[in-house]
Amino acid sequence: MKLLLKSAKIIDPTSSYHLKTLDIFIENGTIEKIGKSLKINKCDREIKLKDLHVSKGWIDTSVSFGEPGYEERETINNGLDTAAKSGFTQIALNPNTNPIIDDNGAITSVLSKAKDHAVQLFAIGALTRRAEGKDLAELFDMHTAGAIAFGDYKRPTSHPNLLKLALQYAQNFDGMVQSYPQDNQIAGNGLVNEGINSTYLGLKGIPAFAEELQIVRDLAILEYTGGKLHIPTISTEKSVKLIRNAKKNGLDVSCSVTIHNLLFTDDVLAEFDTHMKVLPPLRTKNDVKALIKGLKDGTIDMLTSDHTPIDIEHKKIEFEHALYGTIGLESAFGALQKIFSLEETIKFLTKGRERFKIKEPQIEEGTEANLSLFSPGEEYKFSKEHIASTSRNSIFLDFNMKGKVYGIINKNAMAI
Amino acid sequence: MSELSVDHLLGIKYLKPEDIDLIFKTADHFKEVINRPIKKVPSLRDITIANLFFENSTRTRLSFELAEKRLSADVINFSSASSSVKKGETLIDTVNNILAMKVDMVVMRHPNPGAGIFLSKHVDASIVNAGDGTHEHPTQALLDSYSIRERLGEVKGKKIVIVGDIMHSRVALSNIFALKLQGAEVKVCGPKTLIPKHIESLGVKVETNLIKALEWCDVANMLRVQNERMEISYFPSTREYTQQFGLNKKILDSLNKEIVVMHPGPINRGVEITSDVADSNQAIILDQVQNGVAIRMAVIYLLASKINR
Repeated sequence: MKLLLKSAKIIDPTSSYHLKTLDIFIENGTIEKIGKSLKINKCDREIKLKDLHVSKGWIDTSVSFGEPGYEERETINNGLDTAAKSGFTQIALNPNTNPIIDDNGAITSVLSKAKDHAVQLFAIGALTRRAEGKDLAELFDMHTAGAIAFGDYKRPTSHPNLLKLALQYAQNFDGMVQSYPQDNQIAGNGLVNEGINSTYLGLKGIPAFAEELQIVRDLAILEYTGGKLHIPTISTEKSVKLIRNAKKNGLDVSCSVTIHNLLFTDDVLAEFDTHMKVLPPLRTKNDVKALIKGLKDGTIDMLTSDHTPIDIEHKKIEFEHALYGTIGLESAFGALQKIFSLEETIKFLTKGRERFKIKEPQIEEGTEANLSLFSPGEEYKFSKEHIASTSRNSIFLDFNMKGKVYGIINKNAMAI
Repeated sequence: MSELSVDHLLGIKYLKPEDIDLIFKTADHFKEVINRPIKKVPSLRDITIANLFFENSTRTRLSFELAEKRLSADVINFSSASSSVKKGETLIDTVNNILAMKVDMVVMRHPNPGAGIFLSKHVDASIVNAGDGTHEHPTQALLDSYSIRERLGEVKGKKIVIVGDIMHSRVALSNIFALKLQGAEVKVCGPKTLIPKHIESLGVKVETNLIKALEWCDVANMLRVQNERMEISYFPSTREYTQQFGLNKKILDSLNKEIVVMHPGPINRGVEITSDVADSNQAIILDQVQNGVAIRMAVIYLLASKINR
């Protein structure tokens, strides 16, 4: 297949073409030529789009769909279509399915379902069997099948010795262990951030220190065991400090933050809107400030939409009964540009591959085309018509956005 | 002001001071009505009210039902201790099924915070929150303030201490909002394990010594310990709780002034307060109950007047 992108402004500080507006010729999935006013014979498709910008393909390291088990929330195929429309060329799928993705067969199954899609799916395997937090799952076997990390999604590994064993065991094959940062005994029946708002609304709170205590514990275990630890979706000011210090002390730890935890505080809970019910909970202004600073200074290694489709039956109910989570792929770019410059936005949307040992794409002649296509300027209000997911539980509904996505080119395929 | 600023009574936090004044003035009138030989007015003959109690209640349910009947409304009752979700039907469906029978107003008690607010957004009826989990119990707070006003002349400037399980209490939260709105000073008193960490953000002070709290206050509102809302034990034993936070006659008599004692009921006699305190002249517990009917009549009457009829 021959593709020609006309007049595309390249946003990629690591490329020699950064900030230049050029034509990009792609043949059979490889960037063959980048230059001014390229003339290509018998091109299959010439792509001319208003205010077209391209960058390296975006990645999201914490995405949930519903297949197998919750197809009414999202299927792998429509989930990947959504990722493509949202500009993501690669996503890591969480194991929170039914059954849980906790063995070689399950990893192989989800990978094979995604193999023909333009979006590349990576699988995260459960750390423990059925994510029950009791016995380690077959980590090596899942690693062999292609799993890029191991974690029980948002179920914390409550037993410290189990995390110790996991971190030790995974070192045999340089595997990465994920530990969700929440002490469930401290969190108790909490639903939202413990603070002024939870008090005002009479909702049980999850104190920030439920997260911080778990991180302190995990870092102490990591210091003892060695190995690679990833702490997904931190949400408090002190968590940033803890990880900053741990990195200074040479621990092999990384962490991520959700996009919505950078944009919202628990002030939005006033109406008991279940779209705002997410985990980790929305915190305070000071936390948001610290998270943004942590992301900018590299303490936080990557961000994620933490895309979690939930069907309306589990959202349009009383706050206490509603499930946690928001979809986030569709809104990621438009929301991030409200708080970051275009270059920062692209930088953060393309970070995280190295940690998960995923090959870094490039925008150079002779490299594989792994590109996101977008128009950064347009401002609009995010509404249901912008949602491609099967479930429509977006925290960003009615949020003012900046920047639209055209699609992606990846794996010798195009989704525009 | 001749009408409420709200279409539903979901919580005190949504009211203005003028709303409270209006409710109290209206309640004054209804209090006079319920002390007449014929305790009934025909105001709401064309209104049908559904009392939906998804959580156990005796006094609140009876008080609402009586208030509705004294206003001549048609009343239907639905009680279910297990939530509708457990039975497989959603709250919205349950309520819409009842509304399909042409009901104008819903009085709801529900175990989940915000349930009334949720319902008000999804169904077409006027909603009165009769207690939603640990969130609010607005009519209780209104009747409490009304009872203070009745006994002490006004609420403004008065010092009120709320004693007991603040964390699990919608009565405490609604009372804090109502009392602050009327210009009272409020302290909360109880074991630290039962006081929300951020309670001072609501403009109240914390006092962990009962005697000091009582010496400071004009009114002590003694809450019931809500064992049913506690998933773990927040204090070692009831005996220890009573030793530290129980009000007995000896303490009451040792104070250098005569304070007013309130309790939202039902009383655990000998736990929060002893019988001799509950039955003393300083206690206005039964006045609270009587005022509850007048306050609920006022709330329902004022909300019904906003319904297109």
